[in-house]
Amino acid sequence: MLKLFETETLSLDKLTDEQTAIKVKDFSVWLNNSLVLNKINMRIPKNKITAMIGQSGCGKSTLLSSFNRMNELNQKYAFSGEVELDGRDIYNKKENVAKLRTKVGMVFQRPNPFPMSIYENVCFGLRIQGKTERRMLDDIVETSLRNAALWDEVKGRLFDSALLLSGGQQQRLVIARALALKPEILLLDEPTSALDPLTTLHIEELINQLKKTTTVVIVTHNMQQAARVSDYSVFLHQGELIEYSDSDSLFTMPAKKQTEDYITGRYG
Amino acid sequence: MRKFSAPEQQTISSFASGLSAAILLIVLMSLVLFIVLKGSAYFWPSQVFKVTTYDTPNSEVSVFVPSSVNIDEFNQALSDKLDAQFSNSALPMPLIVVEKVDAVYQISLNLGAIQYGKFQQVNTPNSERYQLAELNDVVADVAIFQNQLHDIQTNYLTVLHRKIALLNQSGVGEEAPARLKELEQFTYWQQKAEALRHKLASYNLIFIDAAGQPFDVLVKDIDHLFQPNVMSLFDKISYSGNKIIEFVSESPKQASTSGGVFPALFGTVLMVLLMAVIVAPFGAMAAIYLHEYAPNNMTTSVIRICVSNMAGVPSVVYGVFGLGFFVYTLGGSIDSLLFSDALPSPTFGTPGLFWAALTMALLTLPVVIVSTEEGLRRVPEGLRAGSYALGATKAETIWKTVLPFASPGIMTGVILAIARAAGEVAPLILVGAVKFAPSLPVDSEFPFLHLERQFMHLGVFIYDGAFHNQTNTQGSSMMFASCMLLLIIVFILNLFAIIVRNKLRDRYVRI
Repeated sequence: MLKLFETETLSLDKLTDEQTAIKVKDFSVWLNNSLVLNKINMRIPKNKITAMIGQSGCGKSTLLSSFNRMNELNQKYAFSGEVELDGRDIYNKKENVAKLRTKVGMVFQRPNPFPMSIYENVCFGLRIQGKTERRMLDDIVETSLRNAALWDEVKGRLFDSALLLSGGQQQRLVIARALALKPEILLLDEPTSALDPLTTLHIEELINQLKKTTTVVIVTHNMQQAARVSDYSVFLHQGELIEYSDSDSLFTMPAKKQTEDYITGRYG
Repeated sequence: MRKFSAPEQQTISSFASGLSAAILLIVLMSLVLFIVLKGSAYFWPSQVFKVTTYDTPNSEVSVFVPSSVNIDEFNQALSDKLDAQFSNSALPMPLIVVEKVDAVYQISLNLGAIQYGKFQQVNTPNSERYQLAELNDVVADVAIFQNQLHDIQTNYLTVLHRKIALLNQSGVGEEAPARLKELEQFTYWQQKAEALRHKLASYNLIFIDAAGQPFDVLVKDIDHLFQPNVMSLFDKISYSGNKIIEFVSESPKQASTSGGVFPALFGTVLMVLLMAVIVAPFGAMAAIYLHEYAPNNMTTSVIRICVSNMAGVPSVVYGVFGLGFFVYTLGGSIDSLLFSDALPSPTFGTPGLFWAALTMALLTLPVVIVSTEEGLRRVPEGLRAGSYALGATKAETIWKTVLPFASPGIMTGVILAIARAAGEVAPLILVGAVKFAPSLPVDSEFPFLHLERQFMHLGVFIYDGAFHNQTNTQGSSMMFASCMLLLIIVFILNLFAIIVRNKLRDRYVRI
């Protein structure tokens, strides 16, 4: 399997706390009184790309949105266990959820730009934090759009409505919007499922660039994509963590029969 | 009963629904057409006929009436005699219609009319006699004298009168030279004024009425004068134009039978805008609470049902509530707290503009709430999620992303509210709209906007106009003209709100 960047592979069992971005301990989630995640234990390594794969409804999106507490927007939500970030349980009662979400950015399946200009879209998070100094905003907008590989396409029309962009551009704008806050962790929930193959490739390259500074967790239905971009992969099935290892071994020599069935497409 | 086959059913159903739509269209069109025709007739100079009714061959009654009068009704009002006959002949007579300053219409025959063989005449103090064509010169003279008279009255007589009153107060003796001097002055100017008045009284126009009797009108009383039966099309158009301008820019005259409706127009627009300013934020906030914050339970559903039902409460009930609660209770309390030195004459404890706007805001609140909620429901979940994911709190999400997106919905509510409030009459009569208000609610006097004042409203004006004598064409037609104006106002306000809504929609809701 072709790798764009050669990376040293850390052993997941021996991750130190410094090398860990997110530590999940006995984490269970109930949505509408039914168990969605059952006692998940995992450590997500820092500045690496981790892919989550599994059938629809296996709980991977739920797990992903547990990392920035977006799950709570769901009315009937209950959980047990811990999710640790920088050694602190983000589900503690004193946690500032808004601040947490600036540290843990998220990009959704469907591009959801705000109905405002491209510039204002990228500034949105910064303005909320009370940053209004024009020059600083200009700088951040440019850097974020460059990092999201969108700058060259939109630099002449920053103040046009973001809704006029194409789907792929919108998705990159949404990524730029998240990057403007300089998040430590970026959660991507099937970011390319609504895009064409070429745009998908753009975004995959972008994700690879990002891991220099950011921990990326990506949920995907596309096996090739998971294999292409990720350093580590986790396979979930019906709320259980089945297998978690570096992507090379998971996709070439899966340890579990279930994983093998899924990645070779033998699952129903 | 015979069963219809499927294609037959198809035909019947499409025919029935098409018919209903057509009837609806006809009803709507005829409503608008009727109001527009009747309303614009008020501005168009109608021709004058001579109507003669015969009871017995020897007793005939002749009158001049404009063609806009319903002859049958007119005759019934004129005389209760049975078996009257009419001749509305003598059409091309050059009749003169004189509109007096006090606006009683007088329709009379031009004295130069061939049929009668007498001269129309303008009398002046020098016993000179003028023809109609020279009337303008006479009118100019009269205007000069009137100005002089006004000048004497305000600059000399009033001043002197005040001085004498001061002397009286300070107990200056009857024979004191200062007093005598002032009195002498006063008498001098009084005589001058009297002379002018006398002069003005001798400028008059003499007419001969339908029965052949002469009568006269003082030139200074003439507002304007025209000859409808000999007007060219251009004359008629310019006459109508002037009349329209007068209609929208002047106050009503002669118990609302002529003149303009400016105060009512102004009051309507001001009240509606004031109401929109109150109801839009209030309704939007209530809807935001119901949709975004309130838990999804029984209580919320009950509140929602109550809000929807509020829209069905008869408007007069709101009026009674506004009178009882806002005016008497709230207004009374405000008076006793803030304006106690003006008591017992009430300031806010009486029907007025603010209470009317507040009552109408209450009346239109359900509409705004319901359509705002509709707008909020249309906000895509992704937008909220995107905002939350960037570290926005719930309040920030609502203010910065949800509300702009829902703003077309709010505007829709405001449009409906405006249309409703502009046409409402019953509650307004109770809480502040009057037949005639001596002053506008906005003037140059501090604080410029007088919320406690009573105001005029087009709807109430129309309601009042409906009670005028229907045979008096001017009063009745003025009601139709006001109706047309109200339609136009509602249309313009709606159009404005729709443009704003579409602008918002273009800006926020193109996904």
